[in-house]
Amino acid sequence: MKKIFLIGFKDLKIMFRDRAALILMLLAPFVLTIGLGLATGQMSSGTDSGISDIPVIIVNQDGGQLGDALVATFQSNDLANLVNPTISSDFEAAKKEVDNDHAAAAILVPAGFTNSIIPQDIETISSDTIQIVLYTNPSRPTSAGVIRSILESFLNQVETGKVSGTIVIGQMVTSGLISIDQAQAAGEAYGQSLADSGMATGSIKITSVDGEETSSTNVNTLALLAPGMALMFLMYTVSNGGRSLLVERNQGTLARLAVTPSRVGEVLAGKMFGIFLTGVAQMIILIGATSLLYHLQWGDPLGLAVLILAAVFGATGWGLLLCAIAKTPGQVSTIGSAVMLIFGILGGSFFSLSALPDWVQWISHVSPNAWGMDGFTTLALGGHLSNLAGPILGLLVMGALLFVISSVVINRRGIIRA
Amino acid sequence: MNKILAIIYKEIKVRFASPSEWLFFFILPVIFTLILSASTGPSNSDNRILLPVVDQANSTLSAQLLTELERSESVKVQIVTLERAQSKFDSRRYNAVLILPENFTTETTDKSVQFMQQPGSTDALIAKQAVQSALQKVSSISDIAEKSVAEAEKVKPFASEAERQAYYDLALRQAETGLNEAPSRLSTVTGSLDTSSEDEILYDPRANSSAGQMLTWVFIPLLGLSGTFAYERHAGTLRRLMTTPTERSTFLFGTILAQVLTALLQMALLVGFGALVMKVNWGQSPAALIVMLVASALAASAMGTMLGTFVKTEGQANGLSIMLGMTMALLGGCWYPLELFPAAVQTAVKVLPTTWAMNGLIEILLRNGGLVDVLPFAGVLLGFAVLFFTIGIARFKYE
Repeated sequence: MKKIFLIGFKDLKIMFRDRAALILMLLAPFVLTIGLGLATGQMSSGTDSGISDIPVIIVNQDGGQLGDALVATFQSNDLANLVNPTISSDFEAAKKEVDNDHAAAAILVPAGFTNSIIPQDIETISSDTIQIVLYTNPSRPTSAGVIRSILESFLNQVETGKVSGTIVIGQMVTSGLISIDQAQAAGEAYGQSLADSGMATGSIKITSVDGEETSSTNVNTLALLAPGMALMFLMYTVSNGGRSLLVERNQGTLARLAVTPSRVGEVLAGKMFGIFLTGVAQMIILIGATSLLYHLQWGDPLGLAVLILAAVFGATGWGLLLCAIAKTPGQVSTIGSAVMLIFGILGGSFFSLSALPDWVQWISHVSPNAWGMDGFTTLALGGHLSNLAGPILGLLVMGALLFVISSVVINRRGIIRA
Repeated sequence: MNKILAIIYKEIKVRFASPSEWLFFFILPVIFTLILSASTGPSNSDNRILLPVVDQANSTLSAQLLTELERSESVKVQIVTLERAQSKFDSRRYNAVLILPENFTTETTDKSVQFMQQPGSTDALIAKQAVQSALQKVSSISDIAEKSVAEAEKVKPFASEAERQAYYDLALRQAETGLNEAPSRLSTVTGSLDTSSEDEILYDPRANSSAGQMLTWVFIPLLGLSGTFAYERHAGTLRRLMTTPTERSTFLFGTILAQVLTALLQMALLVGFGALVMKVNWGQSPAALIVMLVASALAASAMGTMLGTFVKTEGQANGLSIMLGMTMALLGGCWYPLELFPAAVQTAVKVLPTTWAMNGLIEILLRNGGLVDVLPFAGVLLGFAVLFFTIGIARFKYE
């Protein structure tokens, strides 16, 4: 047992002295976590998607109350963080700004828009529907989508008000409650009451499952991005650990170890323990550093600790397998880097896999990353150790299975022999 | 000239000595492109986001809401059981779930629906917007009917509850017809630099993925050029080469040219894959595309040359090229559109060549841009190339 510990700690020391390895073990995941954090806006706006201050140009040629109301909506305090509207009189110039990527969209409220909905001037009224024009920036699809949904919501309110007035007054006339002569005055009074109180739209609330009204999720996305990146670069650490076994064989230190009174199993277990220790140290440093810097809440600490140990155990199995099947240290590095990236993307370290077919999601669980991310998501959503049985069991079975297979192959190939 | 060709031949032979090089040269970029385009946006057949709905109410109101959601252009409704929804949500296979509780009926005064969303999921946000929009429509219909009854009651109370209900039902039907038959008052036009073309280019995440992944996987090995120099120095082959009648500039030029040519071949393969398999509109302006690809490859190889003067070992170079390549790709908008970044970061990332390379390719793919439109982007990339080559060559150590 002592020998296993000695070999393990020796490998841990060697790994943390290797500056080149430290770049990929610690620096790369940390820098990428910060980059992804910026992309999701967790370090800036605090909004769900990270999108804020969307530049939009409004050209209001309407001159009526609805055109003014649209401008007021975009300038309202409610949207102050989300959009950054600019008023212009030249729609062609506004389109140019969008083409030059200085704005996400340009809006044109054409002349006569109000009059086409609330006829005031019989002389100029047109039977054609006058449409608001939205000119969008193709390289800012999400921002343009937000502007479009604000416009749709505004137009829905306008339409609701118009239909509401027609029905309320029309029904009163047809049921004989008021006469046709009284309709105009009743319509004006009703219109005024709508303008004063606003047409009640969206009276049905959206709540989260626990009954809270949702405005945004309480989970900090970084709490998922950080372990995602840590798990991806954990694969680098374990493959580098596996590689060290072949390096030791080439340098002859393995042969020297084999002539000492140590069994092959002890040497292999020691190497595995070294990889495991390095992986655990890497995960603790990465998760600890991101927690301290961004005040992340990880949920149940016991669940977190067990999940980290299980994830590193599963990944260590892969490190040993790479060493067992590769012929040279260079091959372990190359295949290891490829496996690291494939497992990273399959495990959901970069993007959500929900849009992919079920079989891809099923296959993704061949990676420790996918099981690990399942566990970290459960923790981020408030789960405890008891909810982590699936991921932890999956990782432990993976690690044990890969250890057995690797041991058999390493033994057959005689990698650890004098 | 012969020496340069010999160096180019040697470089290419060394690089492709192991078949595993193809993993990074073509296979991984293709896998990443496919997964990224599938996971960030619509596919060809149905571009809507899946919205699983648990209908526990089975009421008129829930049916109205489902009909309204089915009309949505952004979500595709799928009715599921609560157990299935919970299990798939827990395993991150559903980004969002809408639950219509048993009391979601017209009779309930304080109506609400439940919405579960995965943290940080853009799909969940889009789905939520669609739900909000459908709810607004459905509640508008019942709000109009309630208002109509309230206004009538102000003039004269109803004789019976049945009369009141009939008045309400009629208003409800009229409101539904009125809102459903309302004309569209919004016209959306997607921006394009080529006003002569009548084809409107719609946003296609596959175009973003194809361009972004190509840049990522071309930048990483070109930054790895630093590793080639470190290897030659470490192995002593550089010293030996310098004892032959070969100019230093010939060695540098040949080595860099070999990597640029390999990168251009890699780009051609990935562009071909994007155009033929993913149907990305790469053929819009071949001249503009060639200019952008050459300028990007030069800027990246120049950066690799400069980096080569700072690293000591091949291992350091490999680690740094993967880290810098991935980080610069991420921050340059190659993985996610730059619009998702805060304004200050969008400005700051203009110091990265990947930002200019990606924006130039977007100009061609999404804005119908031509040669003149991409010249500013190519110009900046060439500026980067001159700057990095100058630093790299000035600091280069031959021993």
